Amino acid sequence: MEPVLAELDSVSKSYAGVPVLKRVNFSVRAGEIHALLGGNGAGKSTLMKILAGLVQASGGEVRIANAPLEPATPAQALAMGLYLVPQEAHIFPNQSVLENICIGLPKPSAAYRARVEELIAQIGVPLSPDTKAATLEIADRQIVEILRGLIREAKVLILDEPTSALTPHEVQTLFARMQALRAAGHGLVFISHKLHELRAVCDRITVLRDGNVVLSAGMDQSTDADILTAMSPGVTELEARGAGKQISRGVVLSLDALSGEGFVDISFEVRRGEVLGLTGVVGAGRTELAETLVGLRPRGSGDVILEGQAFLANSPSDAVRQGIVHLSEDRQQYGLFLAAPLFWNASSFVHDRLPFFLRPNAERKRFAQYRDMLGIKCASPDQPAGSLSGGNQQKVLLAKCLAAEPKLLILDEPTRGVDVGARNDIYRIIEELAAQGTSVLLISSDFDEVVRLSDRITVMAGGHVAGELPAGATPDEISQLAFEAQEAEHV
Amino acid sequence: MFERIARDRVATLFLVTVAVLLLVGLAAPGFLSAGTATIIWSNGLVLMLVALGIFPVILTRNIDVSGGSILGLSAVVLGLALNDGFALPLALGFALGAGICAGVVNGLLVAGLGVPSIVATLGTLGLFRGVMLIATGGEWIEELPEALKSLGAKSYGGLSIMGIITALVIVAVWWFLRSRRGRWVMVTGDNREAAHHLGLPVRRIELLAFAWAGAMYALAGITFAAQIGFVPNQAGSGIELRAIAALVLGGISLLGGVGSVGGVVIGVIFFTSIDTSLVFLKIPAYWNDLIGGAMLLGVLLIDGRLRIALEARDRAARYRRGSNTEQKSQPLEDAA
Repeated sequence: MEPVLAELDSVSKSYAGVPVLKRVNFSVRAGEIHALLGGNGAGKSTLMKILAGLVQASGGEVRIANAPLEPATPAQALAMGLYLVPQEAHIFPNQSVLENICIGLPKPSAAYRARVEELIAQIGVPLSPDTKAATLEIADRQIVEILRGLIREAKVLILDEPTSALTPHEVQTLFARMQALRAAGHGLVFISHKLHELRAVCDRITVLRDGNVVLSAGMDQSTDADILTAMSPGVTELEARGAGKQISRGVVLSLDALSGEGFVDISFEVRRGEVLGLTGVVGAGRTELAETLVGLRPRGSGDVILEGQAFLANSPSDAVRQGIVHLSEDRQQYGLFLAAPLFWNASSFVHDRLPFFLRPNAERKRFAQYRDMLGIKCASPDQPAGSLSGGNQQKVLLAKCLAAEPKLLILDEPTRGVDVGARNDIYRIIEELAAQGTSVLLISSDFDEVVRLSDRITVMAGGHVAGELPAGATPDEISQLAFEAQEAEHV
Repeated sequence: MFERIARDRVATLFLVTVAVLLLVGLAAPGFLSAGTATIIWSNGLVLMLVALGIFPVILTRNIDVSGGSILGLSAVVLGLALNDGFALPLALGFALGAGICAGVVNGLLVAGLGVPSIVATLGTLGLFRGVMLIATGGEWIEELPEALKSLGAKSYGGLSIMGIITALVIVAVWWFLRSRRGRWVMVTGDNREAAHHLGLPVRRIELLAFAWAGAMYALAGITFAAQIGFVPNQAGSGIELRAIAALVLGGISLLGGVGSVGGVVIGVIFFTSIDTSLVFLKIPAYWNDLIGGAMLLGVLLIDGRLRIALEARDRAARYRRGSNTEQKSQPLEDAA
């Protein structure tokens, strides 16, 4: 048996008397990749933050290389050879990519430039070490965070959902790096909601539910059904959506040769009650297109027709008034008001429809309807939004969008970083909305998700429409279309 | 060329300052001389030291408005010690020590107890001024010894000893910010959580920034006392706001993480130049605040507009490059 590199010994944690972790044991050995799985609120992130010294345990002991983590600070954990790549990238916006990666290392950043460039080339992303971090897209920020972990060559490397913003190709190269580290005797913890990813690289699996370890076994010895049952008893499998229904209803939105920042000559239609999947690899121009539609970016040539009338929005709130609501992928910037009560958040898109003297009880009631419809788990409508878990926050964002009663709902990566249970709920909500006649433009890099939900699929690559596929297309077909067009672009 | 200057706040402000000085030179012959330069430097010393003190605090995304009070407190400690017969070096040590202690109090409140810096230093703004007034019993301290005054007198090629020390401090700060630890100060203000996550001692960095600020206010207090030869009750009152205005003008972001020593120096010199020019133009001194404030707003507004326009152009250029491969040969035509 290989030596244990890091260990949590019956660790407990409670916040304000509410237990989050109950005497959890967890260990990482040299030369293994350990999968950690669990629904939102299961305690995975807290567990890893305790291991990394970011959160203090209420009981139990944390040991790294057989020595207790003392004092329990990130600096000490780093010194003892452990690094946590967090789920949300922590970026210094005013520093270069190189500084972002190398800050805190013992030598000046210039000393690591060659190594950073080598890693960037290996992963195969177009990222320059001298770019100012403020200009990076979400996916690139995630890559910077992963590079931080790789360059530190920590003996124990924890990756909290590192693949959520990566393209399939980048995921493969990340896996290759992880396997190389494992071969070199490092121990890794890999947190992901995607079972097939965990299967591809992990040796052992631990499943958490409600702060308890409910499954701990070799990866080979557990079937998908075992793992899903352990995670959330009752949910056995992601239900597939009925085959793409024939839609012959009227056109809600049509784009005619629209151009703007990052995309050229885009034409497509969205019909009433239809889910149009808009997919492609990162950098295809999908997010830019959505942001242009709602007035976040300047629009170039081309026409947009909404229900027979020319549509032009100067700002997202202007777009809301005209019937297009946009849920941004950048939840940190365009997300919730974290300190405000849930019901404020739910009506924040429609503040201009509220009476001059607010009627909080009416708002609370309205929120309660959405809470029941979307299955938001919360104690009270007056709770601050920041106190909810990620999946529940995403549902509150959906509530805020629905409150605006959109004709067209644009969802940009609606399930990124959301666990299986909440993801299923969000899928169900999207289907119900479509059935009720709302049109949905679903932007997603998760080809499986696009296939599951979409009535039609438009694939973008390099700012162009690479092709359109009917419902029932396979993820492989999408992938082929998205990457072929990209290759052609690069030659 | 124009664009590079427009992109750099320090360069823009430098040119504006030069333009103002040239215009004043046209209006008042004899203004443009080495003598005027040393006057501007000497008049700006106190403001410069206070600005250099607040600078690292603002870089860490905190603020310190107690600078004027600490300046006064240090000057009083210096004056009382001298009048009690302590030797000058010892008295200077006491003043510096008082400034550092006061800075550490600020730092402990902010970094140790987690009090928001604006709240903490608004409190100590009153507290330190109060301590100073109690120490003097509300009296002015006068008849300071010649040895102290000689520190502020122009003796070396038009520069005073305090003027030379200030120049050395500027070089030291410039050098420090280029070092690895200096970068720590910048990134702590840029994203505190990220800095903590990467193992930087963020609390210690904040504490040291406030302690440094205290030391600089003390130097400013010593300079103040040496230059005017006595310590009035309101010594330093309000100077922290002028220093913060000069920093903002010099491109130091109040949101932390952005700024350079060059910006601090040029911001302070700009303000002092205007004050000095008004004297030459024989405009009454009570016009200073109005004109200084108007120039501050003017520069910031123009600079802000310029920046927005340049950013929009950059973004457009980036997307043109990124999305349109078949137009790769176009830039040549554009350039022609």
